[in-house]
Amino acid sequence: MTLPFFFLEFMTGLASAASLFLLAVGLSLIFGALGIVNFAHGSFFVLGAYFLFALTRGDAAGFWHYLLLAVAASLVVGAVVERVFMRRVLNRAEHYQILLTYALLLIIEDLSKICFGADYKSIGMPKGFEMPVFVLGIPFPSYYLGLVGLAAAAALLLWLFLHRTRYGTLVRAVTQDREMLEALGVNVPLLFTLIFALGIGLAGFGGAVSLPLQSISTGVAVDVVISAFIVVVVGGLGSIWGTLLGAILIGEIQAFGALVLPEFSIAFTYVLMAAVLLFRPWGLLGRPPAVRT
Amino acid sequence: MRTKLAVAAAVLAVLPWLLHDYGMQVAIQALVLAVFAMSFNLLFRNTGLLSFGHAACFGAAGYTTALLVSKLRWSFAATLPLALVAAALVALVVGFFSVRLTKIYFTMLTLAFAQMLWAVTHKWYGFTGGDNGITGLLPPGLLGNPKGLYYASLVALAAVCAIIHVIRRSPAGYTLRAVRDNPARAEAIGISAFEYMVAAFVISGTLSGLAGFLQVAWQHSAFPDLLYWTTSAEVIIAVILGGSAEFFGPAIGAAVLVVLEAVVRSHTQYWPLALGIVLLAMVLFFPSGVVSLFQRRQRREAPRAAA
Repeated sequence: MTLPFFFLEFMTGLASAASLFLLAVGLSLIFGALGIVNFAHGSFFVLGAYFLFALTRGDAAGFWHYLLLAVAASLVVGAVVERVFMRRVLNRAEHYQILLTYALLLIIEDLSKICFGADYKSIGMPKGFEMPVFVLGIPFPSYYLGLVGLAAAAALLLWLFLHRTRYGTLVRAVTQDREMLEALGVNVPLLFTLIFALGIGLAGFGGAVSLPLQSISTGVAVDVVISAFIVVVVGGLGSIWGTLLGAILIGEIQAFGALVLPEFSIAFTYVLMAAVLLFRPWGLLGRPPAVRT
Repeated sequence: MRTKLAVAAAVLAVLPWLLHDYGMQVAIQALVLAVFAMSFNLLFRNTGLLSFGHAACFGAAGYTTALLVSKLRWSFAATLPLALVAAALVALVVGFFSVRLTKIYFTMLTLAFAQMLWAVTHKWYGFTGGDNGITGLLPPGLLGNPKGLYYASLVALAAVCAIIHVIRRSPAGYTLRAVRDNPARAEAIGISAFEYMVAAFVISGTLSGLAGFLQVAWQHSAFPDLLYWTTSAEVIIAVILGGSAEFFGPAIGAAVLVVLEAVVRSHTQYWPLALGIVLLAMVLFFPSGVVSLFQRRQRREAPRAAA
């Protein structure tokens, strides 16, 4: 294995890590605040990609400005889903929450099949990233670097939002003590709508910006959501930096695992997930529950 | 209750003479899913643990049968003991590591184990056939004939129900529910919660293996789908749809689910959409399952039904 080849493989892993991070960070946020494990999260990732494809009609020329519209549409969908469905199961047993989100997965899958067709959708490289870059003499798709940059910017903005704004402080507070926040007069239901919409918006953004790299069809949602689970479980449910670490670990394991033992590269990621759950059930960077129940 | 059970048993016994070919296929599928759902609910109802990994036990048994038949030319029925052993072993490993975790972490770890098994099966073309699966497994004799398979599944369902009934009424069953309701207190009076929960997981997983065996006999093939997480989701849907608090709820839920699927699929290709809407309605409007819809009046008259 030569050095340039090794480096390119690393960058490929980082690009899939970027996509995984955008997918999973919303799942983590939503679990942290609402305590809901969202089995439909992969569907919103796919939906974001579909929105972008429908808006651009598969033509990469309008990629950047339609991207904003696709993300806005995802935010709206997230807010509506929270208002109409999620808040009814917030205080219910977890199997009802799981069934509700699974129902959403099924409904979104078939509705998008009806609206957009069942075939695979893909799109060309967006404007500004049409030409490959040469890394140590080997051509490499420049959009991989662009995707990593987008995910890094999203992570930074999210951090700034959570730690430097009043609403971000409230989001962090609600994950710790919802009742206290309500007692202080904060509109917690509105906050939940905001968090859910934000999480779904991020997933939609992730799906849309991943479209130039991976073609997407309605059936992939069930696979995508499992990848998101692995990332947040490894990193720690509810932790942003944990999600980032989890995404990078999983992205690189998939990239290098495919070189070592191509047949079983997916199995490696499950081994990692099981190992983390056995030794640190709350994830690598998650916080152990204060009171063990 | 007893008369209802007798009527149900009589109807199920004569059903093969009333149904045509397609109806028989649906009936067998319903029985197989009923076996799986009853087995799953043994764990869920008595320990409160929501496993998302029961597909591992189901599929391990199914693949054991498929591999022994296709590679070693064993007769179908002879593979049953080993299929159950495989399911028990998988359940022992998964249960041993998982029951220590609580709530969502338990669910996630069981999911991880099952997905690991799926990933290996899905890709190991040399041994399991990968995603091409193992096909052409025509069981000879009794299991190959729809009526024979129907009665075999019915006997399996009756046996599983009897085993679950005995366990529920045994001291071990009460101990399990004590652990479920108050683990700290159960530990304080000297009960090893861990051992009881692993035992429940293993029994539940082994009985799920019986369903996996029947599934392979029914579909004449084994595919990695048997192990995929959507299989675990399907059994959970059957259990909650019927009502996990009712003894026969999971079996009824399984029958409703399979029959509904057959009816919807004969009219439209959008079965997932229909199922999603049914699930939404169930979670929001009748969370105790379909059985409870018909029992509400009785319940009010006799609020303390047998535990």
